[in-house]
Amino acid sequence: MSMHLQDVVITHGGRTLVDVADLHLPRGEAVTIVGESGSGKSLLAHAVMGTLAAGLTARGRVTIDGTGYDLAERSARRRLWGRVMALLPQEPVLALDPTMRVRGQVAEGAPAFRSDRRSAYHAAEQLLGTLGVGDAARSYPHTLSGGMAQRVAFAAATVGGARILIADEPSKGLDTHAREELADLLRQHVTGDGVLLTITHDLDLARRLGGQVLVMREAAIVERGTAEQVLTNPSHAYTQRLLAAEPSRWQHPWVSATGSPPADEPHAPFLIQADRVTKGYGKRDLFSDVTLTIRPGQRLALAGPSGSGKTTLGNVLLRLLPPDAGKVVHAADLGGGRLQKLYQDPAVAFPSRVPIIVGLRDVLRRHRPEPGRLEKLMGAMRLSEDLLHRPPGQVSGGELQRVAIIRAMLLDPLLIFADEPTSRLDLVTQEETMCALMEQVDRSRCALLLVTHDLALANAVAHDVLTATTPPADPVRQGHAGQLGSSSSTPPVHARK
Amino acid sequence: MSAAVMSVRARLRGLSLAQRAALGLLMLLAVFAVAGPWVWPDPVAQDLSRFLEPPSLSEPLGRDHLGRSVAGRLASATRLSLLIAVACVTTAIVAGMLAGILAAWRGGLVDTVLHGLSEAFVALPALLIVLMVSAMSGGELWTLYAGIALAQWIEYFRVVRARSALLLSGPAVEAATLLRLGPMHVLRRHLWPDLRPLLTTMATFGIGTAVLAVSTLGFVGVGVAPPTPELGQMITEAFPFYHEAPWMSVAPALVLVVVLVGLLGLRTKESAS
Amino acid sequence: MADRQAAVVGVTTIPPLLDAEETVEATRVERGAVRRGAARPILRVLAQRALQAVSVTLLVSTACFLIVQNLPGDLAYRIAAGRYGYDRVTAASADAVRADLGLDAPVWQQLAGWWADLVRLDFGTSLVTGAPVLHELYVPVTSSLHLAGTALALALAVGVPVGVVAARRPNGLLDRVTTVWVAGSRALPPFLLGLLLILVFSVHFGWLPAVGHGTASNVVLPAVTLAVGLSGLFARVTRDTVAQIRTSDFVAFAESKGLGERAVLLRHVLRNAGVTLAAYVGVQALVLIEGVVVVESLFAWPGLGHALVHAIFWRDVPVVQAAAVALALLVVAVNTVVDVAGLGLDPRPRRRSVPS
Repeated sequence: MSMHLQDVVITHGGRTLVDVADLHLPRGEAVTIVGESGSGKSLLAHAVMGTLAAGLTARGRVTIDGTGYDLAERSARRRLWGRVMALLPQEPVLALDPTMRVRGQVAEGAPAFRSDRRSAYHAAEQLLGTLGVGDAARSYPHTLSGGMAQRVAFAAATVGGARILIADEPSKGLDTHAREELADLLRQHVTGDGVLLTITHDLDLARRLGGQVLVMREAAIVERGTAEQVLTNPSHAYTQRLLAAEPSRWQHPWVSATGSPPADEPHAPFLIQADRVTKGYGKRDLFSDVTLTIRPGQRLALAGPSGSGKTTLGNVLLRLLPPDAGKVVHAADLGGGRLQKLYQDPAVAFPSRVPIIVGLRDVLRRHRPEPGRLEKLMGAMRLSEDLLHRPPGQVSGGELQRVAIIRAMLLDPLLIFADEPTSRLDLVTQEETMCALMEQVDRSRCALLLVTHDLALANAVAHDVLTATTPPADPVRQGHAGQLGSSSSTPPVHARK
Repeated sequence: MSAAVMSVRARLRGLSLAQRAALGLLMLLAVFAVAGPWVWPDPVAQDLSRFLEPPSLSEPLGRDHLGRSVAGRLASATRLSLLIAVACVTTAIVAGMLAGILAAWRGGLVDTVLHGLSEAFVALPALLIVLMVSAMSGGELWTLYAGIALAQWIEYFRVVRARSALLLSGPAVEAATLLRLGPMHVLRRHLWPDLRPLLTTMATFGIGTAVLAVSTLGFVGVGVAPPTPELGQMITEAFPFYHEAPWMSVAPALVLVVVLVGLLGLRTKESAS
Repeated sequence: MADRQAAVVGVTTIPPLLDAEETVEATRVERGAVRRGAARPILRVLAQRALQAVSVTLLVSTACFLIVQNLPGDLAYRIAAGRYGYDRVTAASADAVRADLGLDAPVWQQLAGWWADLVRLDFGTSLVTGAPVLHELYVPVTSSLHLAGTALALALAVGVPVGVVAARRPNGLLDRVTTVWVAGSRALPPFLLGLLLILVFSVHFGWLPAVGHGTASNVVLPAVTLAVGLSGLFARVTRDTVAQIRTSDFVAFAESKGLGERAVLLRHVLRNAGVTLAAYVGVQALVLIEGVVVVESLFAWPGLGHALVHAIFWRDVPVVQAAAVALALLVVAVNTVVDVAGLGLDPRPRRRSVPS
């Protein structure tokens, strides 16, 4: 079994979104297409599957096991779904029916389902068992962690016997641990003589999958080769730029390895002091007895998987949420708006129905920074003025996050709490945005509290990294109860560079 | 002055064809209701010698079973319905919005009391509330006004409270708090721009509901006391004569339908093409 | 008065402030709290609704008390007239009533006594017929349930299939017909619609009886009057919900597993649409009960609405109180059933404010 794509062209109106001349997917070798959003890589996957959105037209041919199919004609491939080819969905948590138990959702994909329901259920339970989520068979999807939902989705997609697996951004929304498990699953599929086409912007996943890697940019494939060659020694300028944007390779004056952390003396002045704070939700502790101090100019990162309570800890430190026990003390200087926050989705951090400039004018009127400060910052971040006359929903995520940084800097903050500020951005945009933030932080000697799920990012930016840990996996676990800083007085500082 | 005209024009341009037609229809009806008293000064004057007189040039809608001018009564009834409806909806919006924002902002006891009250009210069909209030002193206009306003404020309160609570606990307001921007900023930039379109839509529903409530009460016989003309009451009175004098029943029914269609049309978002 | 859904539509169309990833995180955090008591959600729903039932009863009762206090004339005379008949009222019997009921006591004491009666389920006697109210209410309650149940069943039986079919082809013929139907039923007040139906089917064709109660054909016209508007709304909501669910990730995934269109519809789309639809029926309970009041008066259907309107006309306060309480409790009952059905259909915990 193998799959071969020829002369694939996808257009919308008069615009060409994908143009790929030739792509061979052999069995037993992973093929991964990497690229940033808007490069057309997801469309390619959907064109192969025959699930393109209405309004997009595809031309070209796909040959599956010697049988040719016209990409423009979708219905012929529909009967291959589940049996010959399957699509592993983005965000498995959303791809599972919230009102149906897991077992039924897997079983309905089994070939026997229509004739012999009992054997289909049996097959489903067996497959779930093989994948290590047998205990979840009778659970509802909302009780699953991201990694478990990913394995359930994998079972549902492959239970019909499909040997061709197309995975579209399968690592979206998964934490590091779940991503590693996902890579293992996909590799197993390939080593079992399957065909695998993975679409991702996650270079780490591509590296783990090995095999062939293709780099896609603006509708075309700009580079292809083995994973090792493309992802360590790229020849195309774009691939080089992409790789350099990975936080672990950043070369900036403010990268923490080259900067100097402030002296950690016990009697130095502090900005925030947390003493044995505990916070839970319901009867469960998110974290307990966390004691830590943030000093002027310090850069502290809280890293950890989703659900570990790191954002909640940040909000408690900012006194946006009250702790259940313990206390948080702020230095007097922090009053009057010297403490600012950046949000994961900047679009929800601005009043949604008025142009951005209207809100910014209120800030200027209230705090009266030196005249021309706003314009100077806009220039420094290469943002054009007319951007500000749009409502926040009409500005791209990266640009809007930079506007949010500007808004925070107008108040000359002493501490910025950045809550996953770049987790929704592409690599290159992430680097741009972090540069914009860190240049300001560096210049003003302001302290930074960064919450991120990306340890590499945390290490690149922070002097100190605090990791939230997960308890040992429980088969049907109720999310990860973070055990952040469970030791009583000193936080577990895992990475000091 | 000219600036005001310009802004009205700009607003009109933003409306779709259906919305403009609906607005025109409602304006026409309003002119009829307002100008009525000059043309037909006494809508209750009887002239039994002219009972069930068919429409003519001098009496465009004919006369009813007591020889009263149907057009005159209709104009008067329309004015009454529209006035009560607008008064009720204005009262309900102002009260509901203030209470809603207060409850969402202050939380605590204020919220508990107001929310508990609204939970009880919400199990009462609006018509039931109006019926009960009008039972206190039947046929008087103020009970009708009070009843409808009382029935409607709950809706505005609930929507404004839910929406405001969501916004106030959201990241945009949190950011505004960290930026030390005061309550006026939150009201003007966050709450009001968000609530305005919602309230506008609800108000067109509310006016329709109020007009309907007045006429329904008149129809079942516990609304405005006769002989004051009222749409629902006119329809009840006319029904026995539907065969001999169809103008009597068709005219008020048509006005009612036009009001509802007009308000419905204001909400259609079809493009002006 | 058919537009309470405005409020709900307003709320449900609001985009969630939590973004997808945060929501996932939030629900996962939440689970720990919920799972401890598996039976809790249903108990919480029942407790909330019970509280609502009590508070609405108190509200109605207090309103009725205020009505009595505000009625023109001497209350003792009115009650005496109710007890002994209008022609046998004397100053002495009025004084007896006054002493008996403590009508000289301060208002708050009277209100407390009024509430105490309510707690004992003593709704008093009708001022018009002199019979105990509770006894008099049996027929109205069953008639109203009969009418409302028939109308609701009819509206669902027509509206839901139409909505499902209309969702197959957005902007298709059936979809447009539904839109016109909804607009039409909004623009035509229920009492006008009822009159039209009477004119056409009873007066003109003579097919169906216009008024009365007893034979099976009596219920047709009033139930149809109520169902026309409701079925349009159900069709609209079903269509929107089904169309929206069809674009969801889990439907796309189900299809890509190799499931046929029918299987996807039956196994995934309808079940999820049911969650929204059940909640919507709860919202429409108010509209339905309102309609019942109007339509009963129009068709002389001997239900609660009919009784209420008559009682208000005659200022028969005990009957007003009992009928109003019964109607309000009917709304609460429908909503309780809807809530429980929603819990059964959708296992997810209700989203509340969760620290993320």
